[in-house]
Amino acid sequence: MIHNGVLIDDTYAEAFGMKATRIIITADNLTWAKNAANAAFGFATSVIACGCEAGIERELAPDETPDGRPGVAGLLFAMSTKELAKQLERRIGQGVLTCPSTAVFAGCDSEEKLPLGKNLRYFGDGWQISKVIAGRRYWRIPVMDGEFLAEESTGLLRSVGGGNFLVLARSRCQALSACEAAVLAIAKVPGVITPFPGGVVRSGSKIGSKYKALPASTNDAFCPTLRGVTESELSPEVEAVLEIVIDGLSDADMHAAMKAGLEAICEIGAAGGIVRLSAGNYGGKLGQFHYRLREILA
Amino acid sequence: MSALTLTLRAAPQGRVDMSGVLPAALAGLSVAAIAALPLIMNGRPVALGELFDVAPGEANRLVICTATNCLDYLGKGMTAGTITVEGPAGHYTGQNLCGGKLVVRGHAGQFAASGMKGGLLHIVGNAGDWLGAALIGDRAGMAGGVVAVEGDVGDRAGDRMRRGLILVRGRAGDACATRLLAGTLVVAGGCGDQPGFGLRRGSLILGHAPATLPTTFNHAGVVDLPYLDLLRRHAAGILPGVVPALSRVRRYVGDLTCGGKGEILVAT
Repeated sequence: MIHNGVLIDDTYAEAFGMKATRIIITADNLTWAKNAANAAFGFATSVIACGCEAGIERELAPDETPDGRPGVAGLLFAMSTKELAKQLERRIGQGVLTCPSTAVFAGCDSEEKLPLGKNLRYFGDGWQISKVIAGRRYWRIPVMDGEFLAEESTGLLRSVGGGNFLVLARSRCQALSACEAAVLAIAKVPGVITPFPGGVVRSGSKIGSKYKALPASTNDAFCPTLRGVTESELSPEVEAVLEIVIDGLSDADMHAAMKAGLEAICEIGAAGGIVRLSAGNYGGKLGQFHYRLREILA
Repeated sequence: MSALTLTLRAAPQGRVDMSGVLPAALAGLSVAAIAALPLIMNGRPVALGELFDVAPGEANRLVICTATNCLDYLGKGMTAGTITVEGPAGHYTGQNLCGGKLVVRGHAGQFAASGMKGGLLHIVGNAGDWLGAALIGDRAGMAGGVVAVEGDVGDRAGDRMRRGLILVRGRAGDACATRLLAGTLVVAGGCGDQPGFGLRRGSLILGHAPATLPTTFNHAGVVDLPYLDLLRRHAAGILPGVVPALSRVRRYVGDLTCGGKGEILVAT
């Protein structure tokens, strides 16, 4: 299959089940809400070493937030409920509680809950105040700029992580430029994030390593500098490969995000230096969600 | 389908206990069966039909029409449905209310919302003393739900209140929110003397500065409290304009004899 001069590999992106939550961070203005979100969701690119994958889902207007202030919605994904709860507490405690004027609220609901302000309240050293408003419990924690307001808990969602595709281009700058367009297209899809820096990852990995301590190592088949010494997947004209990784709250969200990203790349096409589109496929061993590139683009 | 309507024929010769006259209890009953239901008047049983005309209709939207305030315990223990009282209510209105909506299109007597745990009590007129307060001998008063009063309330509103929200558009009498255990009492029109005496936790929010405060409250200055934005949004759907328009309020902490974890917030 060829789209606008771009060869679409007959392969699939292999994704897997994750636990996720959505939170809403508000502040006096959008700048400070984003400062908090960037701190909380920073260093959350991959569960391999960050504990969770997280990012800003979208910006929220004042009429979309619980307290009527500007804010952002963020998504966090982890491999287990326990790890998600741990990462959520640490990241809100260090990234949002610390940030001037912010408040944090649940962005989703479910029967099973994750603590949000439930444990952070103890920072109040006994001066924290509980308020139940419209059936939801909030904690008012005294801090030096007034009070940090945190909803007691947020919902726990079953989600899909690790959706991906690989962009093979004639040069690094062409690959990057195409990926930037894809990330912008994916950002318009609700319920998904692209957790890597700027939404793009250059260090795609394979499972395992020659070093026993490492669970993953460089995807040598797609490294242009290793052509000639490994079983390369790259044709001679490919100079650079970049990957976009997507986490989504549902299979449908993931499918929509993959489609938006792939179509954005195809629109740039061969004229923009794009040679091929492929995906991280681990032979079905990694996850139960498979997103076939050709089906998505059909 | 119209609402099931009970219309009081004439002023009864005493106080009538309306316990048990609830949407759930009347659902599925014939007019005759409803008329035969026993009520208590002056400690003696009396058939409902002797006092009320019964017009059949949807029991889930019960309407009680009265010209006198002799009907006590209206909506006591209600869990679902709606009761609308067209006229004044007696004492103990909405006692132990757990769910549903009780609307009084008139004034309410003393001890309204005592023991209330959920639902909404909306009083279009004034409420008497001890709104949402603990009954004599009870350890705590109102324990949940929302009370909205469009008029004034009497003395000791919210005394020993445990949880929930009381919104008052008018003025409160003396000693409101005394011994408040937790929860929130909002009084837009100001209040009488000594509000919050013995307040342990919880919030008394005033639209106007009180003439006097107990000496056991300390001024904590003017602060910006984001939770008031949430409260204002929630209250706007029940009794708009009652919560101060600005979240920047003057805060008094106390009662210091009871731990100092309570607060009185005054609009700036």
